[in-house]
Amino acid sequence: MNIKESFKSALQSVMANKMRSFLTMLGIIIGISSVITIVSIGEGGKEAITGQFESIGTNVVNVSVKARNNDVQARDYFTLKDAELIKEKIPEVTSVTLANGDFGYLKTESKSKEAEIDGVNESYTKLVKTDMLEGRFINERDVQTQRNVIVIDEIAAKKLFGSESPLGQKVKVNVGSNNVSLMVIGVSESASGSMGAMFGDNMPGVGFIPITISDKVLTRTDIGMMSVMIDDMDKASEVASKIVRLLEKAHRNEGKYAAEEGFKQLEMIDNVLRTFTLVIGAIAGISLVVGGIGVMNIMLVSVTERTREIGIRKALGAKDKDIMLQFLTESLIICLIGGAIGMTLGISLGFVVGSLIGVSPGISLQTILISFGFSSAVGIFFGLYPASKAAKLDPIEALRYE
Amino acid sequence: MIIKVEDLKKVYDTGKIQVEALKSVNFEVAEKEYVAIMGASGSGKSTLMNILGCLDRLTEGKYVLGGQDVSTMDGNELAAVRNRKIGFVFQAFNLLPRLSALDNVILPMTYAGVDHAERLKAAKSALKKVGLEDRMDHRPNELSGGQKQRVAIARALVNNPDIILADEPTGNLDTKSSEEIMEIFENLNNEGATIIMVTHEQDIAMHTKRSIVFRDGMIISDKINENRIIRGGNA
Repeated sequence: MNIKESFKSALQSVMANKMRSFLTMLGIIIGISSVITIVSIGEGGKEAITGQFESIGTNVVNVSVKARNNDVQARDYFTLKDAELIKEKIPEVTSVTLANGDFGYLKTESKSKEAEIDGVNESYTKLVKTDMLEGRFINERDVQTQRNVIVIDEIAAKKLFGSESPLGQKVKVNVGSNNVSLMVIGVSESASGSMGAMFGDNMPGVGFIPITISDKVLTRTDIGMMSVMIDDMDKASEVASKIVRLLEKAHRNEGKYAAEEGFKQLEMIDNVLRTFTLVIGAIAGISLVVGGIGVMNIMLVSVTERTREIGIRKALGAKDKDIMLQFLTESLIICLIGGAIGMTLGISLGFVVGSLIGVSPGISLQTILISFGFSSAVGIFFGLYPASKAAKLDPIEALRYE
Repeated sequence: MIIKVEDLKKVYDTGKIQVEALKSVNFEVAEKEYVAIMGASGSGKSTLMNILGCLDRLTEGKYVLGGQDVSTMDGNELAAVRNRKIGFVFQAFNLLPRLSALDNVILPMTYAGVDHAERLKAAKSALKKVGLEDRMDHRPNELSGGQKQRVAIARALVNNPDIILADEPTGNLDTKSSEEIMEIFENLNNEGATIIMVTHEQDIAMHTKRSIVFRDGMIISDKINENRIIRGGNA
């Protein structure tokens, strides 16, 4: 009996007990679909987070003033001059982004919106991917000529201007006791993505202003953070120490700056996510094992029920391996059909859950192959014992079985 | 000689007691013979049937089937012998209920590795031989007892075995069907088939050419049936 015939005959006997076969498959269906849903959401989430980090730029060295030192003085904070200096003196540096942030309100005559106000220089968009919906971002001229302009994000724009275009309109920026009127030159996409758009009403807006006007707009004007993009991450630690030395020389201090590679954070988050997916995947995997035990149980019942059939087949010349193959094929078919249904269900569930939480599920060929591999492995592993039990039956005893 | 049995012994070891089912049995069957094996229950005839059918192994002695000593073979070799050299006809028909008559007849050939077209041809001709060419697609539960047994006979014939072993083939049949089955066996034997039939019914045994009678695990008589009933329409 060849493989094709065993498949045909196994399929016949699976179809002969449709309800039973389906209930047995259900265990595999639930197992495979939950594994696929979880893995695809996990992969999708990882891609989203990695993507965000990539849009921030991984070739980054973050330099900060060690704020826990109480002896940090005003002259220790970063200035635009530092940025120029670093760009000039260290050839590996492609851009330097300075930013300082504060919290306040964006106001028109009738409306008001809570917002984070960030003072930035033009290279900010190289560090954080910022798509513009309308107008443009802060440019070098805005920074150098200290223009009174602002870029607001879509959340703030929607709240303050509704469907009207905010370009060229004035907003009053109110931070602490400062009230400065600025002209809107652009609207950026919300940084928090679809989540932000969905919960827009409860999320604060964002406003970007040239860093050079932050001393009159913001209350906190010290720049304690600087992101330096470099061309080659292999040189990161070397460049980091160069930057620190350069800054220490310029500010004539020592031990007040820390430089950290941006890459490391990504690696850390990646690890956390991988562990998370692995743990939940393992829990889902347990349900697959439970499903496998169900298959084994029903195969044992089937072997007992069909003892006489086994006897007849053996009398007609079936070898032990023929019987073994027959039952193994049956459990394999149950698991493969269950696996296929489970995969379809899992992918659909992945898309449903994904669209609910705003993550596009990551379904790879690898996931599909692994789940097929898994269901075949379950079919073979849990079919092995019943099949060998069937193969070992004594033909005389089996023929006598009522 | 197609069957040669020498000093055959079968002992069932149940742990505490040993039961001697067959004690030193000797006989031979030539090609084209038609033999009845008779005896009351417990006489050892079923044990002999199982050994002749290569379903069970002997304890001592020698059994040569078609020139091959099968006494020392392992399970898989015996399976191959059952497949090629023996055609079984059972009292309870033993057809697979989910398969059509045709697929039941095809079954032994799938284990023999016969190619697909050949199988269909051989199965159809075997079913024709037993007069069931118009019932090929029926499942066993759609057939009468006599028809089921005819399917079983077609299945026994299909691999051109050395011997046909029939174990109480009419035990579950009414008189008319029994006569029909006996007629088929007689025709097969006339065409050259070697048939060995276990039965406890004297009138069934009288269809055969030779009767071997067992009692307490031994042959007590082995003789030619003088008043043989000959069917085939000219009895």
